[in-house]
Amino acid sequence: MSSEAIAVTTPVAEVPLSRRFGRVWWCALVVSGGLVLLLGYTLVSVTILGVGIWGVNIPFVWGFDLINYAWWIGIANGASLFAAILVLRRHDLRTAVNRFAEGVAFFAVICAGIFPIFHLGRPWLFYWTFPYPATFEVWPQFRSTLTWDFWAISTHAIVTSLLWYVGLIPDLATLRDRARRKSVQRIYGIFALGWRGSVRHWAYHQRAYRLVAILVLPLILIMQSTVAFEFAVTLVPDWHETRQPLHFVATGLAQGLSIVLLVAVLLRSGLRLGRYIDEEDIDLLGKLVLASAIVSGYLFLDEVIAALLAERMAQEAMLNRMTGDYAGLYWTAIVYSVLIPQLLWFKAARNSTIAGVFVGLSIGVGIWFDRFSIIVGGLQTDYLPSISRNYQPTLAETGLFLGTIGLFAALLLLFVRFLPVVSMFETRHDEHLEKSS
Amino acid sequence: MTPLPYGIMAEFRRAEDLVEAVRTARRAGYTKLDAFSPFPLTDLAHELGVRTTIIPWIAFLAALVGAGLQYGSQYWMNVVDYPLNVGGRPLNSWPAFIPSTLIVAILWAGAATLIGLLVILRLPRLHHPVFAVHDFRRASEDRFFLCILAEDPIFMMQEARAFLETLSPLAVREVPACD
Repeated sequence: MSSEAIAVTTPVAEVPLSRRFGRVWWCALVVSGGLVLLLGYTLVSVTILGVGIWGVNIPFVWGFDLINYAWWIGIANGASLFAAILVLRRHDLRTAVNRFAEGVAFFAVICAGIFPIFHLGRPWLFYWTFPYPATFEVWPQFRSTLTWDFWAISTHAIVTSLLWYVGLIPDLATLRDRARRKSVQRIYGIFALGWRGSVRHWAYHQRAYRLVAILVLPLILIMQSTVAFEFAVTLVPDWHETRQPLHFVATGLAQGLSIVLLVAVLLRSGLRLGRYIDEEDIDLLGKLVLASAIVSGYLFLDEVIAALLAERMAQEAMLNRMTGDYAGLYWTAIVYSVLIPQLLWFKAARNSTIAGVFVGLSIGVGIWFDRFSIIVGGLQTDYLPSISRNYQPTLAETGLFLGTIGLFAALLLLFVRFLPVVSMFETRHDEHLEKSS
Repeated sequence: MTPLPYGIMAEFRRAEDLVEAVRTARRAGYTKLDAFSPFPLTDLAHELGVRTTIIPWIAFLAALVGAGLQYGSQYWMNVVDYPLNVGGRPLNSWPAFIPSTLIVAILWAGAATLIGLLVILRLPRLHHPVFAVHDFRRASEDRFFLCILAEDPIFMMQEARAFLETLSPLAVREVPACD
């Protein structure tokens, strides 16, 4: 084979097809696999013993379950929204980032889905939220945000996974055709569904893919708002605000972008994909993360201003969140999700792997503290003179949270190992357009 | 009697060669053509007469069905079959029924479009005559193929081969029919 015939995307295809993958990958998989076992253990124990093993109690009806749910959903929605916008704008960045941004969204929604199911207390009856003709002849109450959430999570999981898979089909065909072992070829071949690259097929494929990407945009906005409505429709003073959906959508986008940045810099250095995820891509991603962090900052400010204009009860609730027992959470959120990302004003920071990892994690942590602060800080001051008690997560809850992080990492590691992390056909298409123009 | 082959296929190095070859073949009167490439060539698909307008229609109709089903079932369950007075709110509290109606409309549209796509493309189909052609595996990487199908009304193996040879391809190969 002459050297010019080697396709531009060969190195991407060689990653999943290589026989060995190095020690670091195995170590990471063992660690995250251990956390997945922990997840299994905490889930089994909460199923057998009940939610009594969690730290939640009146007035703290919601604790880690909702904090982590809202956090994972934020990552899922932010990453999905970003991926969809890139596809629709036909932005150059999409070839580099889209595939794993959709992957991040899909894995995060799996992690998110675990929490609402298990906080039901009797998770094996989760299907009661589905309108089916039950023997007691009672239907779900559709005026409740919790039923909207059931549809939102399941729709997000189905639509993002389908979109991700359909986008993967042509690349799976490349892997099928390049596989050296018969067994590997069979497996990729089955999942490639017999894709043969017919120009007719491409035309339909592209149209459908873009159309569903459009559909993802409203889905994300409705879904993230639904999460926020779960708080806003209650009478808890600090939650009962119409600005809640905006806060969740905007900070969720920051969070999704930051995790995409984190994964991008790790993939770039870990898999040596510098040519496909180039410096310009990372630089642009850094700027986007910075912009979204500034928007988060604006929303934190807006929270204060909205409280100043509100009635006394809401003002007190806000003030309590800033200065009360949980003030640490509030300020940590601001430092991590707004102040630290300002590092990205510097070009050196945007181009550095360490800074990318640091800022990516920092926003993730910051928004996690924000969700913690909103949920626990809001419940602390109810209209009722509450029992003087503070919320503290128990080991079972912490284990559950760490377990979902392990699950997310394990899914990501498997994805990196067995699938092309960069869309190969989009890369070829771009190279072709560049050459012909 | 030997079975009729599936067609005859020419291999090209560049996308531009494939586009040119398709145009020449159409001028020569061939109508049953298929082209294969490692990335989307939308303009070429257009020239081959592919119209994808059915895709948005699938999405739109599925969205209508999904929205209708979801609003209808909420209405029937919470207004007709099991009316529940919650603080004097109207039974048909439509603003509360809207979010899941929109979400389910998107669910139907998204799932119908992507599943409909596979139906239109007649995939999965793991076994296809073109896969038997030597070097065809590179259609998923860096080579471009033009296939004249045997079902073409003016298809004659010798003429088609001679015609394809005039397009200066890398190779011309016969595509045997599947058993």
